[in-house]
Amino acid sequence: MRRICLLLAAAVLLVVAAAPVQADHLEQIRAILEKVDAQSRFSGTDFSAVLTLIVEDPEAGIEKLVVRQFRRDDGERYLLLIQEPVTQRGQGYLLEGDNLWFYDPSSRQFAHTSLKEAFQDSDVRNADFGSSSYASSYEVEGYFEGTLGSFPVYIIDLKAVDDTVPFPYARIWVTKDTNLVLKAEEYSLTRRLMRSALFPKYAKVGEAVIPVQMIFIDELVEGKKTQVSLGEISTAKIPDHVFTKAYIERVNR
Amino acid sequence: MFTLKVAFRNISRQKKRSFLLAGAIAFGMLVITIINALTGGLVENIRENFAHALGGHVFITGREFNERGQQITKIRPDERLDQLLTEHAHRIQAFTKRSQALPSLIFGSKQTMHLVYGVDFQEEDKLLKSLVVTEGSLEKALSVENAVILPLPAAERLGVEVGETILIRLETLTGQHNVGELLVVAFVEDQEQFGLSAAYVSRAYLNSLLGLEPDEYQMLNLFLTDLAFVEGFTRAFREGLASPGEEPEEEEPQVTVSVGGMPLDPAATRQRLAPWEGTRYRVLNINQIMEPVELAVGVLNRVGLVIFLILLLVTMVGITNTFRMILIERTKEIGTMRAFGMHRRQVQSIFLWEAVLLGLVGCAAGLALAGLIILAVGSWPLKADPSLQFFLNQGRITFRLSGESVVLNMVLVVLTSLIAAYWPARAAAKLSPMKALSSNF
Repeated sequence: MRRICLLLAAAVLLVVAAAPVQADHLEQIRAILEKVDAQSRFSGTDFSAVLTLIVEDPEAGIEKLVVRQFRRDDGERYLLLIQEPVTQRGQGYLLEGDNLWFYDPSSRQFAHTSLKEAFQDSDVRNADFGSSSYASSYEVEGYFEGTLGSFPVYIIDLKAVDDTVPFPYARIWVTKDTNLVLKAEEYSLTRRLMRSALFPKYAKVGEAVIPVQMIFIDELVEGKKTQVSLGEISTAKIPDHVFTKAYIERVNR
Repeated sequence: MFTLKVAFRNISRQKKRSFLLAGAIAFGMLVITIINALTGGLVENIRENFAHALGGHVFITGREFNERGQQITKIRPDERLDQLLTEHAHRIQAFTKRSQALPSLIFGSKQTMHLVYGVDFQEEDKLLKSLVVTEGSLEKALSVENAVILPLPAAERLGVEVGETILIRLETLTGQHNVGELLVVAFVEDQEQFGLSAAYVSRAYLNSLLGLEPDEYQMLNLFLTDLAFVEGFTRAFREGLASPGEEPEEEEPQVTVSVGGMPLDPAATRQRLAPWEGTRYRVLNINQIMEPVELAVGVLNRVGLVIFLILLLVTMVGITNTFRMILIERTKEIGTMRAFGMHRRQVQSIFLWEAVLLGLVGCAAGLALAGLIILAVGSWPLKADPSLQFFLNQGRITFRLSGESVVLNMVLVVLTSLIAAYWPARAAAKLSPMKALSSNF
C-alpha cells in the first residue's frame, strides 16, 4: 500500500513538474509560428511578381496559367491579373481587406468571391496569395522534432482557434534554424487530409522570406496538383490606383 | 328558328359532304384536345413527382446570424412557426425536415458538384416510392448510416458502381472544410434538364458534416392536401413568419440549380445584409420551382395551338370553297325562297347556321374521339424507358383537361367556321331573285 502511495505521489509530482515544461515548449512553438508569419509579410514595402501555375488535372489535362501579382500587405491588398491563357486574359482578383472581387472582362462585371475558394480550378486557394497567419488562426495542439529531407524540423500540429478558419486542423514542417515552412498538410473537420503543400525553394525579398516554388497536391482527387513558381520579383513601390477596380477595368480596355 | 331548321335540313341533305367537313373540324379539335390534356396531365404528374423528390409543395428555410456575424441556414424551434402549422394543420397532409448542401462528390480522379439532400429515410417513405431505381436497392439506405442514393448522370460522371465508396467534400455552416465517405447503395433516374438532380443521404450524417446536431434541419417542406391551396398557403406563411421590420425581398430567388429555397449558385454576387436577431424565413412553393417545366410545357401547348390554327385555316379554306359550291348549287333555290318573300338576312342566316352546326358537330365528334383515345391510352401501363416514369402517374400517362380550354377551342372553331362561311353567305344574300331564278345552275 505504501509503495502504491509512493508511486502515485511520484506520478503526480512528474505531471506537475512536466506541465510548465510542456507549456514553455508550446510557448516556444507559438513564437516560431509568429516568426513564420512575420517573415512572410511585406511590411512597409510592396511586392510584385509573375506567377506561373501548372495545373495538372486528371480530367481536364495540364493547363498553364500566368498571373501578374501586385501585393501590399499593409491593408491586406492584392491584385491578380491573368495573362495566360489567352481565353482568360484580363480576368482579375482584387483583395481589399476582407473583400475579394473577381472581374470578368467578357461581362465587365465584378462578382464577390471568397479567399477560401480555389483559384481558377487549381489547387491554390485565393488566400495562398497573401501572407500566412498561422499564429492568429491556429493554436498548437502538439509538436515533435524530426527531419524533412536533410533539414531538421519541428513538426507542429495545429488546431483552428475557432470555426471560421477554413481548415480546422493543419500540420506544418518548420525548419529549426530558419523558421521556414517546408511542408504543410491541411485537414478537414473529420481529420481527413485534404491538401498537402510543399515549399522546396525560398528567396529573401526585401525583409520577407517567401517561397518561390510551391507544389499543392489535392489529396482527395487522385493525380490533381498545381505547381507554382515566381519570377520577375520586385519590391518597387506600386501606385495606389493599382489596387482599385478602375485599374482592372482600364487594363482591359 | 325557321332559318335554323332550314340549315339543319340542308346539312342532312348532303350527308357525305357534311361528314367530310365536320370530320376535318373534328380532327383539328381532336389534336388540340389531346395536346392540351396531355400537357395538363404531364404538368400535374411532374409537379407531384417533383413534390415527392423535393419533399413537399411548400418549402420553408430559416436564416440566422451566429455570434461571429456569419449567416447560417438553420431552423430552430419557433412559436410562430408552430402556431402557423397548428392553424393550417387541416391543409397539411405531411411534412418533411431536410438539410442540404452542394458538395463535391469525388471518386478516384473524378469529381462532380451535386446537390445533396439530407433526409430522414424512415419518415420519407413517399420519397423512396417516387424514386426510379436503375441499379442497387433503396433498402440499404434505411440501415447504413452513410448511404447515398445517386442520380444516374452523377454516377456516370464519377464512374462509380453500386457498393463502392465515394468522398463528399463540403463546407460546414461556418465555412470550414469537411470531408466524409458515402457508400453508394443505389442509382436513380433524375431530370437534370428541369433543374432537379439531387443525391440523397441520411440527414443525421449530412448534419454531422455540416456542423448541425442530428435532429436539426434547414428546410421544412410541407405537403398540402390540395395544390390549389399552394399560393394562399405560401402567402399566409410569408406574412406569418415575417419579423418586425423585415422588408420583403426585392425579387424572388432565381431557380437555377437551387431547389427548395437556398441559393446554391456559387457564382452568385454577395448580398450585403445587416445582421438581424433571431431567425428569418424564406417561403417558396412548388409553382416557383415548376417554372422551367411549365415554360417547356407552354412551348408544347403553343406548338399544339399553331398546329390547331393551321388545321383550322385549311378547314376554313375548305368550308369557304364548299359554301361557294353550295351557293352555286342552290342559286335557283335561293331565288325561289327570295321570290316567296324571304329576306336577304334570312338567306345569310341559313348559310351561317349551317357553318355553326358543322362546327359544333365537328367539335362534339372531336371531343368524343379524344375522350376515347384518352381512355384507351390512359389505361395502358408503360414500362418502356425508366426516365419516362417522371412524367407518369404510377406508370400511366394521365390527361387533364380544363373546361376553359375546351370552351375556348370550341368558340375558336365555331368562329372560324362562321368567318369561312361569311362571304359565301353574303354573296347568297345579295343574289337578285330574278337573276337567281333565270340562272342555268
